[in-house]
Amino acid sequence: MTPDPLRVDFHLLDRQVVDRHGRPVGKVDDIELHIDLDGTATVTALLVGQIALGLRIDGRFGTWLASVGRRLHTDRDPVPLRVPFHHVTDVGSAITLGIDLELLDEPPLERWLRDHVIARIPGARDARQ
Amino acid sequence: MKRALAVTLGILTAIGGFVDIGDLVANSETGARFGMRLAWVVVVGVIGICVYAEMSGRVAAVSGRPVFDLVRERLGPKVALANLAGSYLVTLLTLAAEIGGVALAIELATSVHYLLWVPIAAFVIWVVLWRMRFETMERVFGLAGLALVVFVVALIALDPPWRELGSQALGQASASGEGWASYGFFAVSLFAAAMTPYEVFFFSSGGVEEEWTRKDLITERTNVFIGFPLGGILSLAIMACAATVFAPLGVQVDSIGQTTLPVALALGKLGLAVVILGVFAATFGAALETGLSAGYTIAQYFGWRWGKSVAPRSAARFHTVVLVSLLLGVALLLTTVDPVTVTEVSLVFSAVALPLTYLPILVVANDRDYLGDQVNGRLANIFGVGYLAVILLAAVAAIPLMVITGMGTS
Repeated sequence: MTPDPLRVDFHLLDRQVVDRHGRPVGKVDDIELHIDLDGTATVTALLVGQIALGLRIDGRFGTWLASVGRRLHTDRDPVPLRVPFHHVTDVGSAITLGIDLELLDEPPLERWLRDHVIARIPGARDARQ
Repeated sequence: MKRALAVTLGILTAIGGFVDIGDLVANSETGARFGMRLAWVVVVGVIGICVYAEMSGRVAAVSGRPVFDLVRERLGPKVALANLAGSYLVTLLTLAAEIGGVALAIELATSVHYLLWVPIAAFVIWVVLWRMRFETMERVFGLAGLALVVFVVALIALDPPWRELGSQALGQASASGEGWASYGFFAVSLFAAAMTPYEVFFFSSGGVEEEWTRKDLITERTNVFIGFPLGGILSLAIMACAATVFAPLGVQVDSIGQTTLPVALALGKLGLAVVILGVFAATFGAALETGLSAGYTIAQYFGWRWGKSVAPRSAARFHTVVLVSLLLGVALLLTTVDPVTVTEVSLVFSAVALPLTYLPILVVANDRDYLGDQVNGRLANIFGVGYLAVILLAAVAAIPLMVITGMGTS
């Protein structure tokens, strides 16, 4: 279910993105638009992560945030996590995707902290329901 | 029984706002200096936090979105970042103070200097945050914090001049001999402590951790309307004990040992043992509340996975923030700074954090996309807007009053 008309600033930007089980993926830090020859704009993808957020905040802090985001990537030319808009199944108080979290690239900061810090502490594997 | 235990989230949240280490001393200090002349601020604070905690809990139950999600979504990344900075600093400074508070409570029992207990206290707090189930945590520390009810018992045993205290509370008694600036400073501090932003972060995130849904709205409201008034009553009892014991002698209160003294006078050794247990549980509970809130705010701003119901390795960024915050708190305490002063300084950052936290809650609580038929009624909106004005006033007044009075010392 998607609101009509869909307002990018109101319905999309800065909302929480969750996977199909409701697990947090990230925020809609920016979006990717496709503009047709006749001028109609379509949202093609949600951009998630520090690089996208940093570029949007801009200023000294934004630039720093984006550069930290880039530094954490192992790719030569890092880009923000791109979630194609056709995966979106619901736009409500959160943006729900129809796919599993595991299908998306793992955020580099999460992976680094897990491998180097958290997973090394005893008991890191148990969920306490 | 299950129903009775369902209100422990509200109680634990209220402990952080009304009887954490800063407030334990501040309530007592206020009672000693002003009698019950500032009791009305506690009442105003209880109503204010009830109004906004209820809204934030309702949004969390119906839409599953905790407070900092709303802040980011309604204020945009830049203004939300200003709030994040302010809120995180308030939370971090309070966390540091609470670790110190736990250590001070153990010092009261053992006479071993509190700084030696700081690393041990911090480690035990971390183990609880790392290993204990959210519900167990909230029940153990919410209920143990109720040991502070001993202040109510002590007050009755002291048999204070009720008529005198009552007329002070109603503003009919003669002036306290303190300047208006000090009076204003203590009024603003008490109000800001009652409305401190980590309460709504913790309460709404706790609701999400407990997987509240629309069906749990009654539980949510019971938590709010039992938990916070209970916190307020404890706060008033501490103030009244100090007003009875210290005010007539003109004694200044500035340490936790003095806060507990009226209980020892009234109830003897047993009372003292109970009050030390209460102080320990309340500061420990407040440390858990602020430690988790530090993680909640940052994780929710960036959209990370968070919470105690997922395995730590699946929420590595969240658990790293909690761990680093605890270490920063310990580092701050080991500079030998006074934990009580730390909570007073955190007031400066509340000035930024308070309006920018409560405005988005009020806006979203009126949004049918989030709440459907559960949006604010007229009464909630009247109170909500009124309190927003009071919060702004307090935020603007806080810093000049702090400077004029040298944080209440003159």
